[in-house]
Amino acid sequence: MFQPVSDADFGRYLTLQRPDQLRLMNNTAQTLPVKAFGNVSQVFEQLESILLGKRDQLELAMACMLAKGHLLIEDVPGTGKTTLAQALGVSMGLDWKRVQFTSDLLPADVVGVSVFNSHSQSFDFRPGPVFTSVLLADEINRAPPKAQSALLEAMEERQVSVDGNTHPLPDEFFVIATQNPVEQLGAFPLPESQLDRFLVGLALGYPDPATERALMEDGDKRSLIANLEPVGSVQQLRQWSEEANAVHVSESLYDYILALLLRSRENGNGLSSRAGLNLVRLCKALAYINQRDHVLPDDVLRAFPAMAGHRLTGRVSTGQAAAMDILNTVPAP
Amino acid sequence: MIGLLGKSRLLRRRKPKQSAVKLDKRSLHALAALLLLSQLPHLLHLPIWVSALGVSIIGLKLLAHYSPSTAINFLLTPVSLIVIAVSGAILVRTHYGYFLGRDPCVAFLFILVSAKFAELKRPAESTLLLCLAGFLLMTQYFYSQSILSALITLPAVLALGNALAVIRDSTNAPKTKQNLRMVGKLLLQGAPLAALLFVVFPRLPGPLWSLPDDATAKTGLSDSMSPGSIGSLSLSDEVAFRVEFKGSPPPPDQRYWRGPVLNEFDGFNWSASTNPTRIQVSGSQRPNSLEYTVMMQPNHQRWLFALDYPTSVPMSDTVDEADSRIMARITADLQLKSSKPITQVVRYKQSSSLSDKFKPPIRPEPIQTQLAGQNPKTMAFAAQMRAQAGSDRQYIENLLRHFNQENFHYTLQPSLLGNSPVDEFLFNTREGFCEHYASAFVVLLRAAAIPARVVTGYLGGEMNGNYMIVRQSDAHAWAEAFIDGHWVRYDPTGAVAPARVDTSMAAALGDGEPIPMMARSGNGWLKRFKLSMDEMNHDWQRLVVNFNNESQNRIWQKLGFPKLQLWQITILVLIISAIWCFAVLGMPLRRASGKTPADRMWNRYVRTLGRLGIQRETTETPNQLINRAAESLPKSSLIKSVGDDLVKLRFHRPDSATNAALNASIKRGLTKLYMHSLMNRAG
Repeated sequence: MFQPVSDADFGRYLTLQRPDQLRLMNNTAQTLPVKAFGNVSQVFEQLESILLGKRDQLELAMACMLAKGHLLIEDVPGTGKTTLAQALGVSMGLDWKRVQFTSDLLPADVVGVSVFNSHSQSFDFRPGPVFTSVLLADEINRAPPKAQSALLEAMEERQVSVDGNTHPLPDEFFVIATQNPVEQLGAFPLPESQLDRFLVGLALGYPDPATERALMEDGDKRSLIANLEPVGSVQQLRQWSEEANAVHVSESLYDYILALLLRSRENGNGLSSRAGLNLVRLCKALAYINQRDHVLPDDVLRAFPAMAGHRLTGRVSTGQAAAMDILNTVPAP
Repeated sequence: MIGLLGKSRLLRRRKPKQSAVKLDKRSLHALAALLLLSQLPHLLHLPIWVSALGVSIIGLKLLAHYSPSTAINFLLTPVSLIVIAVSGAILVRTHYGYFLGRDPCVAFLFILVSAKFAELKRPAESTLLLCLAGFLLMTQYFYSQSILSALITLPAVLALGNALAVIRDSTNAPKTKQNLRMVGKLLLQGAPLAALLFVVFPRLPGPLWSLPDDATAKTGLSDSMSPGSIGSLSLSDEVAFRVEFKGSPPPPDQRYWRGPVLNEFDGFNWSASTNPTRIQVSGSQRPNSLEYTVMMQPNHQRWLFALDYPTSVPMSDTVDEADSRIMARITADLQLKSSKPITQVVRYKQSSSLSDKFKPPIRPEPIQTQLAGQNPKTMAFAAQMRAQAGSDRQYIENLLRHFNQENFHYTLQPSLLGNSPVDEFLFNTREGFCEHYASAFVVLLRAAAIPARVVTGYLGGEMNGNYMIVRQSDAHAWAEAFIDGHWVRYDPTGAVAPARVDTSMAAALGDGEPIPMMARSGNGWLKRFKLSMDEMNHDWQRLVVNFNNESQNRIWQKLGFPKLQLWQITILVLIISAIWCFAVLGMPLRRASGKTPADRMWNRYVRTLGRLGIQRETTETPNQLINRAAESLPKSSLIKSVGDDLVKLRFHRPDSATNAALNASIKRGLTKLYMHSLMNRAG
């Protein structure tokens, strides 16, 4: 059975160190008043003006962020993956960086490197691009496993160890990784254990023809991003995240989520306990984004494929079908 | 030494603490309600002053709680309550004239329970009061064991459960309504077990306790008869006994139920011989024989009744002939006399030969021709008539003709008779009831030296369904004369009022007679209702109250079981009880694990929609289903509102205030929806 206490992020719980993190934990345990719904919708208005017709994916991406998880986007190039990451970071007032993963990428290129300082006769740590709030890891499956795992460790532990020194990452650390469909040449598919660290797997897909035509008329949106004004802030993001975590989940929904997990395990390669925890948090965040203080079965129905797809088969596109199969055999509450 | 000191200190410290805990309002109300309801069944049979005293003490206690005054408080001190209880006991003793018996003891208990309640100070004492109330409630079964008396205890049982729940923790006890619901539920859950134990639990053969005789309790015919005694009996429509016939019932003029036979006459009263001779009856079949089972109400006398003339001794009604007991001996004058008074309902098998004469095993005794008293006119009349007749038989016929042709009048309200009652009756008043005619007739026979006697019993009986009811109002007296070596039945009342024999007392009596309601002819709704009630009670008595170890054996036999040993029954009962307990206790557990009340209501909603043609898909979320149903069905606003309420109840953050309102509105909505689905199907 799930305990309500375990709503706290699994990974965070393990690496709990600092007093301010402790305070955060204590706060989330209490019931928070939900009051910031309005601001969330402002963010969406702005995001939607950049990514036309992608409301569903945007909500899931945002929910993933509020649930303190990481996002995996799988799609062919040119469908707006980078735009999404950029827009999300800018709109929320977070600094963001981008790493293009290539087959010759080294771990140091991601996490940073110690450089010998001849003045102080010591090694200085030069932080890599991972030290940011929103990190766009483009085409993650084109890098060799060693580089991949450097990033994935940082994602999980929210800290980086270089030459025996530990460097904490910012509190708000959100990775948006994109991967190409694996059929393409020169790709190193991510192993299941690492896929498990992404909360949400999304496929952006091609826009529908009308949207695509509008896209052409308006021209490239990237120039627009440069002019974007942040509508949110780090403080707001924290507040929303805490409030989202306080959303009510009824007993029957916990049962439903558990039943989904158990069903997924019947055929061997099933979902982990972390997946269950993640699903609960994602559902809460989705409910919060939709301005509710309680989770509905509809949230689970929406969150489950996004959470489970990439974990079940290693690929978002095929995994979501598998997730739907599971949903279709478990009666909704 | 130290231990003692410590102990005494402990005691000293505890004492004020105990008295500090006062009985609160809630417990007081619950206990008062319980007591009043337990007293309720007794109000029917207790003397008015006992009822008033008992109820008013409870009233006083409540009054003292609300508007305390020194006078009331003084009345409720332990000393004054003891005075009340003791004087109550003395009053009861003087009222009844004795103390150790059912009525005085119950009356005393009635007062005592009230006094205990008035004296109550601490909640801990109320447990004792609960036991006392339960005991008081049980004592009413000493009086009646009918369905009604079982039903009338039901409110008290509910109040008992409520009081238990309240005194356990009066500050946190749930509302009375919830308590009552819980007690009702507990009772229903326990009912199957009680029924099982009732059927299976080994019975003692015979009554569990036998009550001391109450002097006033004797009813029905007695062993003596004076003018007016049967007449007064006729005013009662109480049931004397009920009869089930094997075959068709006898015709009305053959329904002579033989009771006490009165041989001795002191000039005014007739009485039975104190020590009648017993005889053996052979079991051989006789002509006109009739078999039947009598279920007799307790009359606290020693007579059993049988149709004229009994040909067997009454045997208790059992499955197994071998288990049957002899209920009574048969005497030479064919009375059925039991060795003990009949103090509870008895059921016996009896056979009779329908005949108006029988050959006695012994010669008539001299006492059967003895006369007493001063009735010179009667003597002269008898001598003259006998001389005219020539033979005994002719003499009797002439006498009957005399009763028939002269101006004799059959009435329940005859004039009073003086010192020579037979003379006055035969030649002056000429009006009377059966005992007058039977008495005068036997005196006339004895005056002519013909052995004769008065037989009392019942004449008549009314069929009600498949059994016959014989009431006290059917009480009758007739004469028997010894003619040609036989005792022959003569009914002089029949000569005066033939309708009494052929139909009923009511038909024979004129207008304005005080005939009891149930004995009247006619078929008013009240009488019909009472008869059907009687039929129900008859079955109740037969199936429930009289359920004894013989009936138990009958059930085992019917089910094809051998007669089980005690240990086998114990194991059987334990197993079945355990299964039932698991089932009853497991139900809420299963509910707790799976379905909440909200989920059950949702399932009901889904089923109702299914009936309306919208089947839920497995993965369909509640909102999807609600929207789909609201789009495609009529009554969409109802479907939508009930569905939305259900979603709120099931998934929103729980909030007891709104949830209660939601629950109520959902239940209403579901009922409406269900009705709609029924109409839909019908339409």
